[in-house]
Amino acid sequence: MRILRRWRQPASWSIFRQDDRLLLILIAVIVGTCSGLAAVVLNRSLIAMFEWLHHFRHYWWSFIIPAIGAALSALFLDKMVKEGAGHGVPEVIYSVSRYGGLMRFRSSFSRLISSCLTIGSGGSAGPEAPVVMSGAAIGSNIAKFFSLNDRQRVTIVGCGAAGAISSIFNAPIAGMVFSMEIILGEWKAANIVSIAIASVAGTEISRILQGNQIAFSHRLFNVGHLDIVACIGLAIISAAASILLTRLLGSMHGVSKKIPFPTWMRAAAGGCAVGIIGLFLPVVLGEGYHPLRTMIEGVYTQGIGIVTVAFLAKILATSLTLGWGGSGGIFAPCLVIGSLAGLTYHRGLLLLWPSVPWVNEGCFALLGMAGLVSGMLQAPLTGIFLIIEITGSYEVILPLIIVSVISTTLCHYIEPASFYLKELVEKGQLLRQGTDRSVLSDLSVQELLEKDCMVVKQNMLLRNFINIIKKSHRNYFPVEDERTGHFLGIIHLDDIRPYLFNPLMYDAVVLGQMMDTNVEVVYLDDDLSEVLQKMDANRVFSMPVIANKKFIGMISKATLLDKYRKELMVQTDL
Amino acid sequence: MHTQLFHIFRNTPLGRETLLQSIYFCKKTGSSLIIYIPEFTKFLMYFENDVVQIDLDNSYLISPETALRHAKELLDQGNIKARFLKPKNYTASTLPDISTNFDFMCCPRSISDLSSKIGLGYIGPRVRRIVNSARFPILITSSVFKKWRSIAVFFGGSANAVNALKLGLRISRASKIPLTVFTHAENTSKESYEEIIKNENLAEEMDRYVTKWHIFESGKFEENLYNIPHDALVILGAYGHSLIKSIIFGGKMETIQSIITNNLLIAGPNYALTR
Amino acid sequence: MKFSLNDIARCLDLPVSTVDRWIRQGRIPIHRNGNACIFKKSVLEKWAFNHSMPFFLPNEEKEIYKGQNPDLTNLLPAMQLGGVFHDIKGADVESVLKSAVDKVPVLSINKEKLYKRLLEREALTSTGIGKGVAIPHPRAPLPEEIDKPLIITCFLEQSIDFAAVDDKPVCVMFLLLSRSIKNHLHLLSRLAFCVRDDLFVEFLRTYPDTSSFLSRIADCENLLDETD
Repeated sequence: MRILRRWRQPASWSIFRQDDRLLLILIAVIVGTCSGLAAVVLNRSLIAMFEWLHHFRHYWWSFIIPAIGAALSALFLDKMVKEGAGHGVPEVIYSVSRYGGLMRFRSSFSRLISSCLTIGSGGSAGPEAPVVMSGAAIGSNIAKFFSLNDRQRVTIVGCGAAGAISSIFNAPIAGMVFSMEIILGEWKAANIVSIAIASVAGTEISRILQGNQIAFSHRLFNVGHLDIVACIGLAIISAAASILLTRLLGSMHGVSKKIPFPTWMRAAAGGCAVGIIGLFLPVVLGEGYHPLRTMIEGVYTQGIGIVTVAFLAKILATSLTLGWGGSGGIFAPCLVIGSLAGLTYHRGLLLLWPSVPWVNEGCFALLGMAGLVSGMLQAPLTGIFLIIEITGSYEVILPLIIVSVISTTLCHYIEPASFYLKELVEKGQLLRQGTDRSVLSDLSVQELLEKDCMVVKQNMLLRNFINIIKKSHRNYFPVEDERTGHFLGIIHLDDIRPYLFNPLMYDAVVLGQMMDTNVEVVYLDDDLSEVLQKMDANRVFSMPVIANKKFIGMISKATLLDKYRKELMVQTDL
Repeated sequence: MHTQLFHIFRNTPLGRETLLQSIYFCKKTGSSLIIYIPEFTKFLMYFENDVVQIDLDNSYLISPETALRHAKELLDQGNIKARFLKPKNYTASTLPDISTNFDFMCCPRSISDLSSKIGLGYIGPRVRRIVNSARFPILITSSVFKKWRSIAVFFGGSANAVNALKLGLRISRASKIPLTVFTHAENTSKESYEEIIKNENLAEEMDRYVTKWHIFESGKFEENLYNIPHDALVILGAYGHSLIKSIIFGGKMETIQSIITNNLLIAGPNYALTR
Repeated sequence: MKFSLNDIARCLDLPVSTVDRWIRQGRIPIHRNGNACIFKKSVLEKWAFNHSMPFFLPNEEKEIYKGQNPDLTNLLPAMQLGGVFHDIKGADVESVLKSAVDKVPVLSINKEKLYKRLLEREALTSTGIGKGVAIPHPRAPLPEEIDKPLIITCFLEQSIDFAAVDDKPVCVMFLLLSRSIKNHLHLLSRLAFCVRDDLFVEFLRTYPDTSSFLSRIADCENLLDETD
């Protein structure tokens, strides 16, 4: 029994206690493998499901297939595993920033199943966000199993996310960058090592099981100078598309919430709408990797009209699927929308300047993908590395960087928070390590309590009080009731200073008559940011802390600064 | 020392009994009461190394419009003030986080399954998870409100039992109700138990608060349990065993909770005295 | 090393809840096992140094505190050290001070310099605090020259005009020499407390002998300690 327990606490082994990096690397391998496996499983089951349902696509009633899938996935999430809808990445970021990456065990499989139902049946969504959530939850639970502490657990959660992305795209660098840029939001050497290892493990497991293939291979592109200039226009279009998609998703969410149906009915309605669009434009259905491949290869034959319609339809379908309660991510739709945007732009260029030798349309599709991913996630590095890796096209790196960066900047200008962080920023719950908010949220009132205040009784005479003043180091004297011990008010030395030197008053007043009863008080479970706001609003530097109506201490800005600085030092090192 | 008891209000007659029990406990120990009236059927509790999603059964959401009024009526009868908890943070839009900075938590035997399952010997899986992860002891109430006039601690000599004993001393100190200790000796003598007490520096406190120490050196365990007063608050420590392990190996806690109807205060394996 | 959480918090001079949280968050090189905290002393010391936090093991800690809070010397020991002298000669402030300085029982002190300092202080404003009592002292404390604060009590041969606040002639002088401002104020306030009592002033006017004077001072100090 004891051996078992020791085995579950590797952090206490003497080899790892000095430096836990080795331990983290070992666990990262396990986590990367597991989350990579989860990604492969989802990928395989999506393909299987898509093929199985392919036979029914030709019937006129096939538009209800996405509806059934979406309804089932909503039912599964709501009734079986009792989780909220949505793609889950904000949940991961939230738990990383506030609770050291603690996640429920059920999260490690719930999104896999629900997104499989949604996407496999034809809903327009991506499998990446669910895989990220599963990977992160797997990491979190493995860390929990080994009783790691918060800092280590956060790294392992990052490893899980990195392993999942690496595995599903066969793209180790993209996985690493995604995890650092979006999930953890910080670049630390200690994290990079284990996350890189997890990426390698995730990629390797996918290569073993699915073979080492570049997801979207293509011919070699010859990028000219004019193309680089032209890609600025593409960046603007893809930024506009990102904003449109974000806004549409938000408004769809708002509309669907107002409809008084149970969630699964809403999801079914959304799925139904997508199915109807899919009858006319099958390109919008599913995660859309197959049409994506043809677009990159430059063999997508439709003309500018249909491409433009498809471009807009995919945006609509995605927001219908996700906004109405389907389950899935935004990544794959972004890629499809991006490449459709690229195609539209290319066709438009050909129409305007037919004589210019533009590069192949596949290149623009590729740039559009990068533009949309960077715009939606506001993570340029993730966009750049992902596209490079999944297309294996280093020769387009220059326009790629330009598109990614411009698109990110434009989107940031209009939508200050990225799609993943939007929800958290709106609720004011985005806490990144080492920021003011995170320091304040970590410190608690309990830790700042100053207990050296002398409590006085309300019926004490001023004469006796003078003796107490002599001994006290503080300017504040809380007053309590003799009988109940309840806090009544506070005496501030500044307020009573004139009377202290008037001996006539010594026996004439009791403290109950002198105290300030109209004081703002703080409770033990108040947030420090609120406490500071109260202090600023009342222009005071100290406030009494009350629990169960009794005075238990003071909280002051001076101590806060001391603790704040210590906390900041401790948070930002390593 | 200021202590807080966390209570989830269920707006049914069963919930009324539970709340009455919480009120009684708070008055006895001088704790303040914190009541959560759920808005959603689920919430999360983030513990030190675990996060527990608590799926409340639907009876918790019955007629929310009367819940607050009902709770306040009971509080007025009990002449006690309580604070109503409003969750500040949400993991997802319908999934609030409840802080875990409490000193006690009150649970009926089950909170996620239908209350029709509640019976002796049954403790719901969520309640078990809370017991296992929480740093605070859990008050598992009897199904009908029952006042307790004495405190009984089970002390079997293990680390968890020492925790339970410390908890018992703490409750006894706060409520000024004397403590009785029960030990079912298994092949060990009284001296070895006293040795444990001495090593934990508890001897002095034992003398002050404990009125009687029953050590049963013979008889069946179940039989000896009969000696526990019916109006005692029973305090015991729990192992971190999973459900399966406790079924296979059995456990004192399982035996006790399956034949005793008293209110139980369970100190889990993570119970820490630092707070 | 193995410590309890409370001990660790005391060593680092931090609230228990902070240490507890830091361990949980993995921000401090301590591993927790139940209630016991396991750590390596050298690692933790280095960590504390890097974060400019104090770290003392319990036995070291006490010594530090002792050094930080030296006890203030009270009147009685200071007077015993300084001595009580009768019939100090002199007709004006300068000569009285000169003969008082001669009585200072510390050899290491430069008496000429001290005398000048006393005069400087008198030039600022008179140290005659009324009721026939003066408390001459140098303006700045003398941490170098003396080891312990001392008061030289001088009963004058004849009352002289000290330009005191109440213009009464002065017949008793307490020459106050201290090492720190804090102790100086402490002694001064205690002396003032004694002088405020009219009975004590009456007693001074009787030119009491050394032992009865010191026992009276002891009584006064006891009274002061009780009211505090």
